[in-house]
Amino acid sequence: MSDRARHKRPALEKPEQPEQPEQSERPRPDSSDVAQGGYRVGRRGLLRLLGLGALSAAPLPVLPEVLRAALDIGDPPRPLKKAARAANGRIRQWTMIIDLRSCDGCQSVGKPPQCTLACIEGHFAPEPMEWIEVFEGELPGGGTQFIPTPCQHCQNPPCVNVCPVAATFSTPEGTVLIDQDRCIGCRICMAACPYDRRFFNWGDAPVPPESLLVDYSAEHQVPVRKGTVMKCDFCPDMARTGTLPYCVQGCPQRAIYYGDLEEDIATNGRVVVSASRFLAENDAYRLKEDLGTGPRVYYIPGHGEAVGRDVFTPERQPTEWPWMERVEGAVTWQR
Amino acid sequence: MAALSEWQRRLEETALAPVRRTGLRYWALVAFLLAVIGWGAYAYFIQLRDGLVVTGMRDRISWGLYIATFVFFIGISHAGTLISAILRVSGARWRTPVTRMAEFITVVALVCGASFVIIDMGRPDRLLFVFVYGRWQSPIIWDVLAITTYLTASITYLFVPMIPDLAMFRDRLAGRTSRWRGWLYRVVAIGWQGKPSQRRLLASAIGVLMILIIPIAVSVHTVVSWVFAMTLRVPWNSALFGAFFVAGAIFSGIAILIIVMAILRRVYHLGEYVTEKHFVYLGYLMAAFAAIMIYANISELLTHGYKLEEGVEFHFRQLFLAEFAPLFWFYLLGGLVAPIVIALLPATRNVRGMVVAAILVTFAMWIERFVIVVTGLRVPLMPYEPADYFPTWIEWSLLAAGLALFALLITIFSKVFPIIAVWEVAEEHESMPVVPETVEPAAPEILEPSGGTS
Amino acid sequence: MNLTTRRATRAAIGFLGAWAMAAALAVSAFASHVTPTTTVPDTVTAGEEMSIPVILRAADGAAVAGTTVTFYLHASFAGVTGEAEIGRAVTDDTGLAALTYKPRLAGHHEIRMEYLAPGDDEIQVATTAFEATGDVQLYRTEPSVSVPGLDVGLLMAVVSTVWMILFGVALLLVAIARAGKPGDALSLESRG
Repeated sequence: MSDRARHKRPALEKPEQPEQPEQSERPRPDSSDVAQGGYRVGRRGLLRLLGLGALSAAPLPVLPEVLRAALDIGDPPRPLKKAARAANGRIRQWTMIIDLRSCDGCQSVGKPPQCTLACIEGHFAPEPMEWIEVFEGELPGGGTQFIPTPCQHCQNPPCVNVCPVAATFSTPEGTVLIDQDRCIGCRICMAACPYDRRFFNWGDAPVPPESLLVDYSAEHQVPVRKGTVMKCDFCPDMARTGTLPYCVQGCPQRAIYYGDLEEDIATNGRVVVSASRFLAENDAYRLKEDLGTGPRVYYIPGHGEAVGRDVFTPERQPTEWPWMERVEGAVTWQR
Repeated sequence: MAALSEWQRRLEETALAPVRRTGLRYWALVAFLLAVIGWGAYAYFIQLRDGLVVTGMRDRISWGLYIATFVFFIGISHAGTLISAILRVSGARWRTPVTRMAEFITVVALVCGASFVIIDMGRPDRLLFVFVYGRWQSPIIWDVLAITTYLTASITYLFVPMIPDLAMFRDRLAGRTSRWRGWLYRVVAIGWQGKPSQRRLLASAIGVLMILIIPIAVSVHTVVSWVFAMTLRVPWNSALFGAFFVAGAIFSGIAILIIVMAILRRVYHLGEYVTEKHFVYLGYLMAAFAAIMIYANISELLTHGYKLEEGVEFHFRQLFLAEFAPLFWFYLLGGLVAPIVIALLPATRNVRGMVVAAILVTFAMWIERFVIVVTGLRVPLMPYEPADYFPTWIEWSLLAAGLALFALLITIFSKVFPIIAVWEVAEEHESMPVVPETVEPAAPEILEPSGGTS
Repeated sequence: MNLTTRRATRAAIGFLGAWAMAAALAVSAFASHVTPTTTVPDTVTAGEEMSIPVILRAADGAAVAGTTVTFYLHASFAGVTGEAEIGRAVTDDTGLAALTYKPRLAGHHEIRMEYLAPGDDEIQVATTAFEATGDVQLYRTEPSVSVPGLDVGLLMAVVSTVWMILFGVALLLVAIARAGKPGDALSLESRG
């Protein structure tokens, strides 16, 4: 028997008893014990062991459901009304098409980007959240283009994939929403989003009096809750009733189209287009398409030339949060 | 035989000494650590009241010191796995004096690490949601599963080999210690009498656990790394993260073990059992893992740096040349190269040298976790200026409190439970003259006189 | 000619001239005129391809070839009503321009066809309409990959196995405790 096998035996002497100096008294287990690892369980015992073990582990897959039942917590009804449907009853598939040929970052208007402003005003987005943010990207050759970037409402959303409590979820209409009543503030979704479109309520964001009268719903994210994540939601409560989102309404150049891929139609508030044709004929693309996120926001390449912008005129006005001035003691932070 | 039982008696006295006598230094240390923890509690209260805005984290860099420290503590919890389990499975006999301390460190580090995740949450009042509404597809839930399993297994793995020693405590301290202690040892020794049947059962239990805990530990730090690697951030989007983090975990675990060993050895006069040989061997292991970490870093950085895809160029600039260069180069040189040099040079191949190397590694590994988290989030996703992140006093206070909690729990453990695996050390010692060892015949020279200083 | 006759003649010439001009205009309007003929199948299913044909013939029955016909769908969305272009087709030798179209909604569709016939300077319009039925959801989100067996069940199997083994160790500890009780020394050893 090798030393190694012997070492696996606990060879402890009995508690100090000087009148027993002989070590030969220590019982040595026989070889059959060694072969079986020392404890003969027997077939019945083994079955009992496996059975009890299986019982102990069996509820694991449904543990969350079991806990909910035990603690008498109903699955809180997602505060959503019925899915938005087209006239013939099929579910809408919201999309947004941003025509960059018409977007000049509101340079011609001389104000901060109006899409962002309309969204902030409509949703009372706390400073410094810009749920639709107008980035200025560089073009080959040296000019710049303005890229209004809402949440891309991906079809393979990294944020939904990683959320531990399903606080962010995909709706039947294809939009991605956040339930601030469930968000635990772990912020893994913010690390996962490749478009920088999620924002955290680091502190007590001010709440305007108007919002206190509103029933909270994941569809309009008002009032805000400290320690949770927020983002653009495609204004689902408005879209369902046939109203265009704030950013679409707010754009003075009518550069943003809102549409339904199921009905294959889109509008910017002035004209109606067939979405698929509009995208195909104008060489539409999506942001970071190679990442495989499958965004629902399409872009038509341009730099504001349709509204007279020269590609070499940089800079736009910085965003403002006008409703914050109405609330005293507004708490804010930097991005 | 008389010499053997004299040696055994000395060993048992050394193990019992911390429990028998408690000096002023102990209470002073406990008071100091409690004060640091109290200051951290105050900082956390402010964070609960005002929100995470009191930290330096913002939308663009949404994770920071807390998550880095969480990863760091889970990493050092791998000390127990390596020493206890892997060395036990491979039959390395020199491990016996240090296994208990390693297992302590594992349990305590897991507790501290888990608390940093809770500190980082925006809504800690909704912690139960993780269990009630958990989604199995989320890396965070994998973390919860793995850490819960590992904590359970580690506590079991700490407890089971400790049973014979607890029985010794029960028997030797019966009637000579406070009532609650007597009751405690009686309960946790679960009726151990040293009977053959019990020994067989214990052997089975240890055998099962030592094999089981290795894959559990590997899975823990792998899923912790996947919290980062399952995102699309350029510096994190790497298939190597799992193995990289596990190697780093074992690496930092060895370093912490060396430090804790050095402190406990001096304070509790363990010099006869925890000898320079142990420090040197652990130092060799640490150097080996430093080499593995160097290899992993080369794999990662060279394959990305050779191509310089979008975002990687920015990342390399911030890492090697600009904002994070001092931290990163300290990690590379002080944390990865220095331990190898210290282990190789005969002049530094001693207790002091190894402790210095271990301190360097500990700092370097915390810095590496910090750099991974912050630089990963700092690479701009869209055309905007990269943000900066500096932890605030609240974050630093909570880091100090976490380290103080770690130290405090180990201190208390050492006063309640046997800090050295008496029966295993005795077993190894008694077999030493019988079988010529293949390692370190110079053992008798290194043995210091009992009760000596290090 | 006396004055009356001269006035009457001028009036007659004036009237004749006006009529002639009117007739000329009318004839010119009709003469370059192209008759569109549309036919649409009765039952159209939303989501299936159908053909919207239009045949352009000149007044003398000759086919008008090479004319581009632009098709519009009268649509209303989010309170905005308008004509959405759905395609273009060019008339062939037989004067037929057929647009292959997949209607996306069930219900009444009004199609407007605009074309500029050769020789004309105004865009002409023809209209047609059809009904579509159907309620199958048409838009498919982008495909994902689902490998049978590689799902949460596998994770559960692994985790359950680990916890089962830990549970077994706990039972071993119970056995140790029981073996320690005096008088029980025989029970476990003899069972094997």
